[in-house]
Amino acid sequence: MSAPIWDELADLALKRIAASGAEYGDIRLLDSTTQTVRGEDCRIASIRETQDSGFGIRVLYHGAWGFAASSVCSLEEAPRVAELAIEIAKGSASLASERVKLADEPAHRDRVVTARRIDPFAVALERKTALLLETMESVHRQPGIVRSSASLWASRDRKLFVSTEGSRLEFDLLAVNGDFDATAVHDGRFASRSFNMPHLRMGYELIEDAHFLAEAPRVASQAVEKVKAPTTEPGRYDLVLDPEHLSLTMHESCGHPSELDRALGYEANYAGTSFLTTDKRGTFRYGSPHVNLVADNCEPGTLAATGYDDDGVVCQQWDIVRDGIFVGYCTNREVAPKIGETRSCGSNRADSWGSVPIVRIANIGLEPGAATLDELLADVKRGIYIEGHGSYSIDQRRYNFQFGGDAFWLIEKGKRTHMIRDVVYHGITPEFWGSCDGVANRSHRQRYGFITCGKGQPGQSGWMTHAASHARFRNVNVIEGRSGS
Amino acid sequence: MSTTGHKTWPKLTSRDEFKFIAEQALKCSTGDHTLVSLHDQQSGTTRFANNQIIQNVDTRRGSLSVTVAFGRRQGTAGTTDFTAGAVQEAVIRATQIAHLSPDDPEYLPPVEPQQYLKTPTTRPETAAAGPARRLEYTNEAIGQCRMENLGAAGIVSSSIETVGAAASTGLFAHEERTDARFSLTVQAGEATGWGAAAHRSIDHLRVQERTLTAIDKAKRGLEVRELPPGRYTVILEPAAVAGLWSSLLWALDAKSYEKGTSALTGKLGQSIVDKRLTLRNLPAHEDLLGVGFTTDGLPTVASDWIADGALTQLRYDRFTAKGRGIDRIPTLDAPCLSGRGSSLPTLQELIKSTERAILVTNFWYIRTVNPTDLTLTGMTRDGTFLVENGAIVSAVKNFRFHESPLRVFNRIAAFTSPAEAITSETSKLLVPAMTLRDFNFSSVTRF
Repeated sequence: MSAPIWDELADLALKRIAASGAEYGDIRLLDSTTQTVRGEDCRIASIRETQDSGFGIRVLYHGAWGFAASSVCSLEEAPRVAELAIEIAKGSASLASERVKLADEPAHRDRVVTARRIDPFAVALERKTALLLETMESVHRQPGIVRSSASLWASRDRKLFVSTEGSRLEFDLLAVNGDFDATAVHDGRFASRSFNMPHLRMGYELIEDAHFLAEAPRVASQAVEKVKAPTTEPGRYDLVLDPEHLSLTMHESCGHPSELDRALGYEANYAGTSFLTTDKRGTFRYGSPHVNLVADNCEPGTLAATGYDDDGVVCQQWDIVRDGIFVGYCTNREVAPKIGETRSCGSNRADSWGSVPIVRIANIGLEPGAATLDELLADVKRGIYIEGHGSYSIDQRRYNFQFGGDAFWLIEKGKRTHMIRDVVYHGITPEFWGSCDGVANRSHRQRYGFITCGKGQPGQSGWMTHAASHARFRNVNVIEGRSGS
Repeated sequence: MSTTGHKTWPKLTSRDEFKFIAEQALKCSTGDHTLVSLHDQQSGTTRFANNQIIQNVDTRRGSLSVTVAFGRRQGTAGTTDFTAGAVQEAVIRATQIAHLSPDDPEYLPPVEPQQYLKTPTTRPETAAAGPARRLEYTNEAIGQCRMENLGAAGIVSSSIETVGAAASTGLFAHEERTDARFSLTVQAGEATGWGAAAHRSIDHLRVQERTLTAIDKAKRGLEVRELPPGRYTVILEPAAVAGLWSSLLWALDAKSYEKGTSALTGKLGQSIVDKRLTLRNLPAHEDLLGVGFTTDGLPTVASDWIADGALTQLRYDRFTAKGRGIDRIPTLDAPCLSGRGSSLPTLQELIKSTERAILVTNFWYIRTVNPTDLTLTGMTRDGTFLVENGAIVSAVKNFRFHESPLRVFNRIAAFTSPAEAITSETSKLLVPAMTLRDFNFSSVTRF
């Protein structure tokens, strides 16, 4: 599965690290293929397939890190890059006041392959372009639509991880996604409605089962309905949020603050820190007793379920919030011991061979409750039902947030009535989750994934999946999403 | 470690080497048109937090991209492998994709050979910088913070890259670009102060000066007051101004303008901001990060975008430009916003001249709330203060804003000369610090 030269490169690099006196080292060799087919306004705007290969070497010397990487995969380059990583680690050690001590992890030898029915790279391009063109043409048949876009995306990572501790892990991972949207104009305004597949680790069957053509007329007509809809009246509303919408709310207001490196200040200069400081673990009321947020990097098909993380730690499942109480963090081998953990929960990932692994949000999901969606709606006198993603913004400690959505319906006397527009809601994270008084049952559960979660300097894109059933929140502050309001 | 002369072997792809690789690709392509693009970079970042290094990385990444077209059908393949066999494979894959693609009605062949102005994109001191130089600056920032018993978190980075475009039309462009960055967040308990810089020259980062400024902000934040949300006069430092302008620059897309899906639709030639403001693109400016050519191989152009408050230019793709009969497409790689008339020399003078205002160091997580009127939201960050009677009197808890740049930049009370501005969410601009009236802070956070 791995390139023939990879084992030789790994051997050369690890020998240099061992000879340097470093206490730990690893090498990740990666060959990524990404195919993107992008359509815009009833044309195929681009088809691109990129091969991105290289290796990154990480060295821990006297308790300090060094990392070097190269896209030149040659027998001459591997020792050079290893020496550079060692030299850099020695430089870091010269300023270290506290030594990094890694949590123990057994050595693993394994091979991880994404289960797939249909290899997305084996599907004929004509089929893909035809699907996108037909989808956009269908969207444009709706009067009032002026723009559309549609895309398909597939990624394959072949990876080899080898460490000085004896781990040797091979990976053949797939991920697939597709989406389209429609934009309508009316009375000097414009509005879009989108259809997003969840990014998942599976084959092209994800796209085949999505029924783009069946969904296109609905998406187009809802774009027109949305642009013509009355604007919202600011005030307090009960909200019923769909799983796609919740995936972003969970990501921003629970996922990021539960990253232990943030809580410890590692991201203070960029992504920010966390209001979930280490003294709060086990006692802080994050939400109502209905709120159970579970990290699950084992669920097949989800983006962070890669078997092992980039520390070589086995993927696991653990609680972040249990019965509304904050109980757990996402960790790696470096930060886990800082809060007395004896093992990392395996959430350390890099976005390429050229990036150093950092703590990443796990596949955090909201555990289902007992209600049906209709039951959640039935108990709302005046509320808003929100689907999909819109505008989103949150402060650097993850307290004060503001979310929009892709589509909004007014709920009156327990029934979804008509669409409204310009809805944004605002809240303070623990108050908002404290207002959750119902979660729909497992039959409503859906998964949505992110591949553009920004963190780290240099910036990296994190991949993770967030699953949820619909949930209801009481008395939330809704403001009008336009200027001057 | 030596503090000079970073080992950059194997060296980046030179002009002659790119010419050789491009000729190989063009020779084996059977397409009507072929475009080869190069991006080869050696970059390093030293990242620190809690007064010690947490990441120290050096990455060499070279990539080639080949676009092959038959008529209006095109395909693109990319590779990080520069060997002859891999380049040939990329051409073959791009050819296969092109054969399977439908006609793209907006396809245009690669541009003809172009004349490029000499743009100051590279500085030898940055090219020579490596881990040791980054360590020096890191040590300086951490050392200053340790002396004050404060926490430092930040980065020092430097990179050198070669970029190229070559096509079957005879187009050939190649240039070297350097980039150096420093940013620092100083933590004093709950309070934070921030500063950042980006420049072609690593000698121009002014690490000590920016560290002292960030320290001063953090120390001033030790006692913080909560003010209610509402409309305030604000003094925005250049980074905060840059955050709002970056969103406005995105809205200049010509195709969206023509389709009616831009907040600026119908406003070309009309006043959109205060009539004293002018926005220019200045690729040759030493303090901006201008480039010699675009990814299409088009030369960058010094141009006016907003003149006396009126929108005079849009950001064109080649197809839309052709439809409008525009031969020379204006670029916006090095924006400079300036004010006409009486400006104050410094931010300090702006503060001194203000009776009551909120001073904003930076904004964070700026996102569009409503693309129709370009309403944005975002948070203040790392230094938000109350100014009264010409002086900072206390720190205040951070606000969320809810405003459109198309409104707030029509409420300018005063401004300075343009200054360098960079944030973690914007590219580099030259912009003034500004005092704006009636700025809408819609809520307050807990710190």
